[in-house]
Amino acid sequence: MTATEKVYSTAESEPEPTIVIVDDEEMVLTSLSAYLTLETDYNVVTFTDVDEALAYLEKHPVDVVVSDYLMPKMDGIKFLARAKELQPETSRVLLTGHADKQSAIEAINKVGLFQYIEKPWDNAALLLVIRNACDRTRLLRSLQSKIQQLDEAHANLKTAQSQLIRAFL
Amino acid sequence: MTSRDSAALEADLRRLQAELETCRKELRKVTELSTVGQLLAGIVHEINTPVGSILSNNEVAIRSLELLGTLLDQARREGAPPPPKTAKVVATLMNLAAVDKIACERIVSIVRGLKTLVGGAGEEFVEADVNTILEDTLKLARCEFRRRIQVETHYGDLPKLWCRPNRLGQVFLNILVNAGQAIRGEGKVIIRTEKEGEFVHVAISDNGPGIAPEDRPRIFSSGFTTKPTGVGSGLGLAISKDIVVGEHGGRIDFESEVGKGTTFHIWIPVARKTEEQQL
Repeated sequence: MTATEKVYSTAESEPEPTIVIVDDEEMVLTSLSAYLTLETDYNVVTFTDVDEALAYLEKHPVDVVVSDYLMPKMDGIKFLARAKELQPETSRVLLTGHADKQSAIEAINKVGLFQYIEKPWDNAALLLVIRNACDRTRLLRSLQSKIQQLDEAHANLKTAQSQLIRAFL
Repeated sequence: MTSRDSAALEADLRRLQAELETCRKELRKVTELSTVGQLLAGIVHEINTPVGSILSNNEVAIRSLELLGTLLDQARREGAPPPPKTAKVVATLMNLAAVDKIACERIVSIVRGLKTLVGGAGEEFVEADVNTILEDTLKLARCEFRRRIQVETHYGDLPKLWCRPNRLGQVFLNILVNAGQAIRGEGKVIIRTEKEGEFVHVAISDNGPGIAPEDRPRIFSSGFTTKPTGVGSGLGLAISKDIVVGEHGGRIDFESEVGKGTTFHIWIPVARKTEEQQL
């Protein structure tokens, strides 16, 4: 069994989900992480800078990415698209004060968004979205690892088969 | 023409003049509100963020206090010292209170900016600091500029001015909103103030596309606008000129270069106008 399989296949050994939150407003990050830390055991990592968030995503497995829409360097849709390239299974949530339905539709279509939440947000609703998003990520990952196991088993079977054939010839 | 006819005509004229004056006042009020209206979406967005934070923090504070109560009750019953978790909850609460303060200050500064513009007492001449009026006006303009437009301020040491602060705020906001609408994409606005002889000089520059030479003679005329229908009334600069020149005895001018940008200059006299001049 590989290390990755171990992490995602046994419930007891699974680490707490990691949630990355990106917003250029420090106050939003403080409020969200205070709430999530109080209500959950999630590992909450926050960034005001998209580049730093992307650097983190390159190195660490993340379950859910929550992003603001209007940010100085890159808008939330572009950022979530980059996040998808880095970690395709990660669930992406757009949290925005931008009262523009067009951007929401664009985001859902373009980035394959898990959810779109408007500011000011409702804490309980947000938590429900994040919980579901975590479940989705974990299911996708376990599916992926099962597919990999199947592929490996299939490859092993092929090798055994060709060995058998060779033994008989 | 009999003297009676001419007296009647004169009365008519006076009545019409009074009506015209009322209309002008109404129009000015409407234009004032329409400038704020153009900023409304930005203002809503700016208020939304701190409100969202305060709302969430309030909920967390209530939950944290409940948790704190439970933990302390339990410790008291067991005769044990407060568990370490209580210190953590207290630290979180302190942190949230600090965030709430910042959030409230943000909302207050926007409200103050709005009050500077539409405050009822603004019709009165009072002693005021032009740099403060600019700063309050900028708080509103920034809602529109957001991170698209960078603002640089160079405030000089200025004497207090005898002026109508909300009227001058209206002038500054008109020019700032124009600059913001002229700049497509990212840009910069520079504000300078200085005492220049008997005047306070305010210069507001943008690095937008500039004003076309053929439009320049008409920009202070009522009804002239290059903005799309529904965006500009064509009254902003006409009213600004009226406020600066007519109400304050100052001067307003501009310089513009196509492709480089525009600078508006405003000079307001430092000397207090006599009661008669104010009328």
